[in-house]
Amino acid sequence: MDHSPLLLEARHISKSFGGIAVLEAVSFDLRRGEVHALVGENGAGKSTLMNIVSGVVRPDAGEMLCEDRPVRFEGPRDAQALGISFVHQELALVPQLSVAENVFLGRHPVSRGFVNFREMHERTRRVLAELGREIDSRRLVAELSLAERQLVEIARAVAFESRLIIMDEPTAPLSDHDAQALFRSIRLLRARGVGVIYISHRLKEIFEISDRVTVLRDGRRVLTQPTSEVTPEELVRAMIGAELKERLQSAVAGSVQSEEALRIQGSLNLTVHRGEIVGLAGLAGAGRTRLLEWLFGAGPAHPVTTGGDAGPTREVWVNGRRARLRNPVDAIRHGLALVPDDRKAKGLVLGASVLRNIALAGGRTRFFVRRSQEVRMAQQWIGALRIKVAGLNQPVVYLSGGTQQKVVLAKWLFAGAKVFLLDEPTRGIDVGAKAEIYDVIRTLAGGGAAVLMASSELEELMAVADRIVVMHRGRIAGVLTRAEATEENIMHLATGGAD
Amino acid sequence: MSGALRPAPGAKPRHALSPASLLRRFGPLLGLLILCGALGGASDRFLTADNLLNVCRQSAVNALVSLGQLTVIITGGIDLSVGSILGLCCVMVALLMHAGVPPVISVVAALAIGSALGAVNGILLTKLHLPHPFIPTLGMMNVARGLALVISGGFPISELPSGFRFWGAGSIGWIPAPVILVLLFCGAFYVFLSRTTIGRDIYAIGGNSLAARLSGVPVDARLVLVYALSGLTAAAGAIVLAGRMNSGFPLAGVGGELDSIAAVVIGGASFLGGVGTVSGTLVGALIMGVLRNGLNLLNVSAAWQTVVIGIVIVAAVWVDIVRQRATERGSAE
Repeated sequence: MDHSPLLLEARHISKSFGGIAVLEAVSFDLRRGEVHALVGENGAGKSTLMNIVSGVVRPDAGEMLCEDRPVRFEGPRDAQALGISFVHQELALVPQLSVAENVFLGRHPVSRGFVNFREMHERTRRVLAELGREIDSRRLVAELSLAERQLVEIARAVAFESRLIIMDEPTAPLSDHDAQALFRSIRLLRARGVGVIYISHRLKEIFEISDRVTVLRDGRRVLTQPTSEVTPEELVRAMIGAELKERLQSAVAGSVQSEEALRIQGSLNLTVHRGEIVGLAGLAGAGRTRLLEWLFGAGPAHPVTTGGDAGPTREVWVNGRRARLRNPVDAIRHGLALVPDDRKAKGLVLGASVLRNIALAGGRTRFFVRRSQEVRMAQQWIGALRIKVAGLNQPVVYLSGGTQQKVVLAKWLFAGAKVFLLDEPTRGIDVGAKAEIYDVIRTLAGGGAAVLMASSELEELMAVADRIVVMHRGRIAGVLTRAEATEENIMHLATGGAD
Repeated sequence: MSGALRPAPGAKPRHALSPASLLRRFGPLLGLLILCGALGGASDRFLTADNLLNVCRQSAVNALVSLGQLTVIITGGIDLSVGSILGLCCVMVALLMHAGVPPVISVVAALAIGSALGAVNGILLTKLHLPHPFIPTLGMMNVARGLALVISGGFPISELPSGFRFWGAGSIGWIPAPVILVLLFCGAFYVFLSRTTIGRDIYAIGGNSLAARLSGVPVDARLVLVYALSGLTAAAGAIVLAGRMNSGFPLAGVGGELDSIAAVVIGGASFLGGVGTVSGTLVGALIMGVLRNGLNLLNVSAAWQTVVIGIVIVAAVWVDIVRQRATERGSAE
């Protein structure tokens, strides 16, 4: 196997965006008939490397060879012409068209100027058979399950005669059963000499499906080895670095009070006390956002697929009393606040003023607006949170990310919230503003509020949280105290290492 | 608790009105004044007190209907059924009075019917999860018009009590009664939209319904109310029209939905939702009325009037967008 020819070789690839090095002299290669896993934390440079390999991004330095011939991609089409396909996380299919039409989208077989549907369906069936799966080529993609759609996407790559297929976290939306079916298809592809680059966070499947594994950390390659020669522990250590970074100690340490503010019981158990900050860790797709939005009564009324289950069998207690949180109105009445992961889509009315946004969640019990009182309260929270705005009538759309997030927090303080559900509260916010947001969160807890905070940045959770709850595939994989919460321990639980 | 987050003592609020926001606020009014000046120059009969009062009386029905339409458009929706609801209420109010029901009760009944049909629009939209308000209101547009024709047998129901006709054809002093009615409705809608928490919710829904929902706005209940209000103003328009024409006729308000949408949009509201004012809409309705009246005085045929109004609608929105882009460039710098 070691002597099979190199399908692709990337040598010393470097790339920086806006002066920040994302990749530094990274080398990577793929043989025919090989599954090469690529792992690393968020921001390690995996996506950039794959975008370079698939011609989406051009490298600053380094060279690429395809079967020992130097190549230079000016765009994705050049890479496609050489048989390189990228199966993205967000599938690029047209739901209103049939399976076969999607497989041959843009390249329909034509005879005498008309689409040859018979040939199209015949070839689609053949490709699907090669992948070891059966889907009626005439069905509409809209009717297919997520797993089947993914297969259509892979079938498209095979029909393009791709020799190299990049899969970006293909099992993230899949059940175990569907994941096994996917692995069978991957093995069939491998047997035909197709090379697969497999990006995943899940250690178990890396050991199950891959022949070799490469770890990226902070834009550098730290490990490339045959998968059979590494242990899961070695892989985790390579991902997060051998020496653990010095943890930031919060100014208010160990101020956890015993009074219970929020308790979930049932298929998932979790308690947050007054004055406590509980971190919610987990990989993308572990169910953190879903848990927070479910708590807030904000079910699937917006277009996010929630898996179709009727809802988890869980009960919620707020301040020791059973609470039915059917919608955000209920949740707000119980003193809950949600700072959503996407503040522009879910947190703010972008076109409206700072004042309107701050007053959005409060004061609904009255019929008439008390404008002077509203203005006075908004001004006070703007002062307390040090929100930098020109005036109350300024539209929030032009504010920086950190300032916008403070407006969202001010909205909940204005509404008198006591239990804060924070979902990625510092996403897309620059470093200085992050520190200010941490201050606000600590001060909230110091004042007796309960905080449940989801974040994909482990350092952030370790710096702010009193306890860290780690989620894996919709369940709680473990709870770590401040002392136990090392990156290693968190990653071990988050990647399903405790299963 | 010393570290607790407490509101800081606040500074005095500032009220700043930039030239851009002044232009946005008074742009439609400026347009109306220029239009009146131009028509006054072209026809010496235009700028007479009698004619101007006549314009106001003629614009009253559209102004009333447009207030409801404005409320709907602020939420990012559209109500295509207002013309038909107007027609149905027009027939109903006349039939009730012919059947011996006192005018006051007939009027209340017509307003209730209009509101109920509007509420049905809102319920269809929020409970059936229809993809866009276009669909339920398009359905209601056909249903209401059909019912108006069925109930009336297709014939106008004429000769209405004089007390009822007052709100369409009467005057208080020299001011036409429908103008007073319009001003009352405008005042009520102004207070409702900009001084009540429900009004604030309506703007928030149009700005970002998901964020509004996650901030505790009962979006579905507000939408049902908004469409009910649109039905209510359509019914109010029906009463004025029936009074003025001394008849309840089943084809009343044909095209009324489009006139009201035009008035709202000329008045500066955005189809994207979240933006729109009562004063702008009133001016928009007057621009429509002035155009029709002025073109009549200039002996422009009805066919050409339609062409001109179409162009004015597009031009008004285009001017608004150009103005918005200019302010956005200004703010971004």
